[in-house]
Amino acid sequence: MAIGGYVCDLEVGDRIGPVEYTMSAFVVREYSHANELHHDFLQGIDDPLAPPTLIHLDKLRLYRHGCPKGTGPSARIHYEYDATVHGEVRVGDKLSVSGVVSERYERRGREYVVMEMELRRATDNALLIVYRDTSILAYAQKSEKK
Amino acid sequence: MGSTSIVDLKIGAELRSAPRPMTRERMRRYVDAQPTVAIDDGRIHTQPPTIHDDDAYAKKQGLPGIIADGMVSTNWIQGLLFDVFGRALARKGRLRTKYIAPIYEDQIVICVAKVTAKARTETGETAYQFDVWCEDDTGKKLTVGEALVYAPAA
Repeated sequence: MAIGGYVCDLEVGDRIGPVEYTMSAFVVREYSHANELHHDFLQGIDDPLAPPTLIHLDKLRLYRHGCPKGTGPSARIHYEYDATVHGEVRVGDKLSVSGVVSERYERRGREYVVMEMELRRATDNALLIVYRDTSILAYAQKSEKK
Repeated sequence: MGSTSIVDLKIGAELRSAPRPMTRERMRRYVDAQPTVAIDDGRIHTQPPTIHDDDAYAKKQGLPGIIADGMVSTNWIQGLLFDVFGRALARKGRLRTKYIAPIYEDQIVICVAKVTAKARTETGETAYQFDVWCEDDTGKKLTVGEALVYAPAA
């Protein structure tokens, strides 16, 4: 159990959340603009919705919640994004996100951490996105570290 | 099979984006988006140096220089699919991407989605399976993955 410490100390079985928040138009527009997603249904004012990829920043939301000490000594590198969408996330939706560390393993001198997350609409518990995120805890291989 | 969906793509068809250089500014925008989204107060926020916007910090982490956050290429692939399928992409489906090579400053990135299967669903949608990837201007693959997209009936 490593909740409350650094991200790099997370262990298999650690659960973070649920954390609740409301999807804002500002967040959707800024994120979409940053990623060159210039579509009216994202950046417009008529019933906008969130791009599913915003779920990646919910991982960081969970890290901040569960690992208040920060990342740890090395920068993480994102390795794999895997999101299954079950429903739209609309601006104004009250949301609930939670995650569990499902794997932690070493391959070729690098440590990988897998977090599996669910994003639900808080008002009716409808499942909106299931996300599996794989990150490498440090770019440098263990044999390269001094 | 015949199609009455809003999109009609044949198996083997490729969607390709225009080439885009992964500039320093494009990398930094994703870095800035992270605290901006987290704080959500209507203003832009920045964060301490990262491997995506600070060369010295990236080198300290063992990299030759800054590299793009993988989510930039994932979002560009998503944007290519949004261009064709619109908001239906955000309603149901799947996108998986794996970052198999770092994307360095000013490296050219081209996003591709190739139809590998299609089928009509019970509800009248057309389900498209894609292989998706980003490649550079030499054809080297940088990001690979797959997508499942449901095109609604017309």
